[in-house]
Amino acid sequence: MEYLVVSLMFIVFLQTRFMELRRATLCLAVQSALIAAACLVVGLSHGGGLHGWLPGILTIAVKVLFIPYAILRTVKGLRDEREIVSDINVNYSTAVAASSLALGYMVIDGLLPQAEGRDILATSMFMIMTGLTLIVMRSRAIMQMIGLITMENGIYLLGLIMTEGLPLIIELGIFLDVLIAVVILVILTSRLRLSFRTTDTNVLDKLKG
Amino acid sequence: MLQYILILLCLPPLCAVLALTGRFDNNLLHWLHRLTATAVGVCLALLAAKFDAAVPYVDDYFYVDALSLWVLIIITTLYVAASWTARSYLTREERCGVLKGEQLQTGRYFALMQLFCWTMFIVLLVKNLGLMWVAIEATTLISALLISFKFTRAALEATWKYIMVCTVGICLALLGTLVLYYAQIAALGTNNPLSWVFLHQHADALDPALTKLALLFLVIGYGTKAGMAPMHTWLPDAYAEAPSLTSGMLSGALCSCAIYVLLRNLVILLPTAGSAMMSSMLMFFAVLTVAVAVPFVVVQRDVKRILAYSSMENIGIMVAGIGVFSALSIKAVMLHMYSHAMIKFVLFYIAGTIIQEYQTRNMMRIHGMIKDVPHTAAFWLTGMLGILGLPPMGLFFSKFYIMSALFKEGHWLAGSLLIVLLAGVLIGILYHGMRMLCGEAQRQPLGDLLGAVDVPVLALLLIFTCIVGVGFENLPWLNNLLNHAVHVIGG
Repeated sequence: MEYLVVSLMFIVFLQTRFMELRRATLCLAVQSALIAAACLVVGLSHGGGLHGWLPGILTIAVKVLFIPYAILRTVKGLRDEREIVSDINVNYSTAVAASSLALGYMVIDGLLPQAEGRDILATSMFMIMTGLTLIVMRSRAIMQMIGLITMENGIYLLGLIMTEGLPLIIELGIFLDVLIAVVILVILTSRLRLSFRTTDTNVLDKLKG
Repeated sequence: MLQYILILLCLPPLCAVLALTGRFDNNLLHWLHRLTATAVGVCLALLAAKFDAAVPYVDDYFYVDALSLWVLIIITTLYVAASWTARSYLTREERCGVLKGEQLQTGRYFALMQLFCWTMFIVLLVKNLGLMWVAIEATTLISALLISFKFTRAALEATWKYIMVCTVGICLALLGTLVLYYAQIAALGTNNPLSWVFLHQHADALDPALTKLALLFLVIGYGTKAGMAPMHTWLPDAYAEAPSLTSGMLSGALCSCAIYVLLRNLVILLPTAGSAMMSSMLMFFAVLTVAVAVPFVVVQRDVKRILAYSSMENIGIMVAGIGVFSALSIKAVMLHMYSHAMIKFVLFYIAGTIIQEYQTRNMMRIHGMIKDVPHTAAFWLTGMLGILGLPPMGLFFSKFYIMSALFKEGHWLAGSLLIVLLAGVLIGILYHGMRMLCGEAQRQPLGDLLGAVDVPVLALLLIFTCIVGVGFENLPWLNNLLNHAVHVIGG
């Protein structure tokens, strides 16, 4: 589990460094794969059964395979592949990620001092905050999508460790929601490309007041 | 009882699937849509007739009590009204709306509308707080497709903002739900996970530190969905850019759903988290929401955005009413939810009609409606007076009760601030509305386009709010239902 935590932190840090959409998406797939591994470890250690392995398998099917595939397909259709940000901005988001890791530890120590698995709880807080940072600081539609899924992964991990997973039917519902959300966001992204000839959300500034 | 619930949950998706197959022509589709909605309405009426407000219905997955029945009534009324007015709206939209000259995908629209209402029914019928979350997220996703229905640039922008802000907010609500589940496991074990009934019975046993944390996340999360400031940024865009029928449903039905879920969660959290924290938090958000809305109402140019900001004002008032949390204020919030939903639906519908008639959404370019389009003008005037809370429309009574509850329970500051802000809203809406109604037309409308079916439907909605607002205490069934809803929440 310790190795898992460290590699997860590393991958999420890496996530803030990528500007190229293909690599960022592959990084997201690796991140989801680690979440799936954590899910299987926790699930099987609490006695197998349907609830033990089904969420892990679903994570692999939905988040490791389907979502990156859908995003990569959209990326292929885009001509302007580079995000319009400077290197400084990337460094900023890494710096924010670093401080949110520290903040994550502080939050966990302050709120749930007696909880077991301090490191992994802090990691999930770190993922939630990094996801938010990505949504706020990145302007390309696909990067915002990746931020959203990072955040969702963080919340999922938090639930996994704190409560050993939600009841099965709720987890299934959450998977379905994530799936539909990605499908809809992909549709919207391709529509953005058709209408604006770019997927940079900075062009979405017409509605005011 | 169960059979009614199952019918309620089976008909809309069935209709959606049929509409998506594309085997029907437009005429048949319209009737399919109308009949499905009417059947659901009849089914709900039968359910309500059999239902004893004092005895909630519980089984493994579903739970119906007075509170959920009341919100179900609100949503089903709008659902039936929207389906009966859909035909003339869509025909007009094809003829002279934004979709002029385009092949309108009626099947897709109806399928999405049915699924949207279906997800809201699920929110109201399930027992489990986790499944409630899942259904609320589903309403966001389905309504996103409804908002971007025309796929214009503005609609895409509005949808992107809507989906990003709302999904992040709803993720925070999931975090809150997780914390609540953690508190439940710590105090009560793993039986009946997140079941509302079970948690309601054992609400006292939860750990106060955890419930306070959960309260924070849940209020912010579901508050985003309801449109509380400062998480409201999606709201004016989404309401203004969606097709008008959808705007009415979003403002009336979806907002009621979000407030319903918030109430359900509050009931669990309050015994341990304490009402002081909840009260001050909600009061702050309420005043902030109204205060943010007022300047935009006053300087507004867009006829649908002004209605969106007026929705924010009403959400603020409802949140203030929940913040007071006395029996009087909760009952008033229930009434307010109803009247606001009905009147706002009518107003959005009429705003859509005005846009089609005048071919502009700029209120400054519309004058002389009374002379040129008397039917539309009559509804516009009545709806406006209704939303401002003038008697005898229902909102007058509910606003009055909420205000009096505020002062009775000693929230002097919030109460006085709200009254001042409400005066600002009144000035803004009356000024713009009256300018549109009176004067000389510089721009000739295409004619009075309100259809033959629209007039009775919209008039009925307005009359319902009068009847419910004025006479709820003299209608024993209704009064009983409302009292039990208040009892469920425990004000």
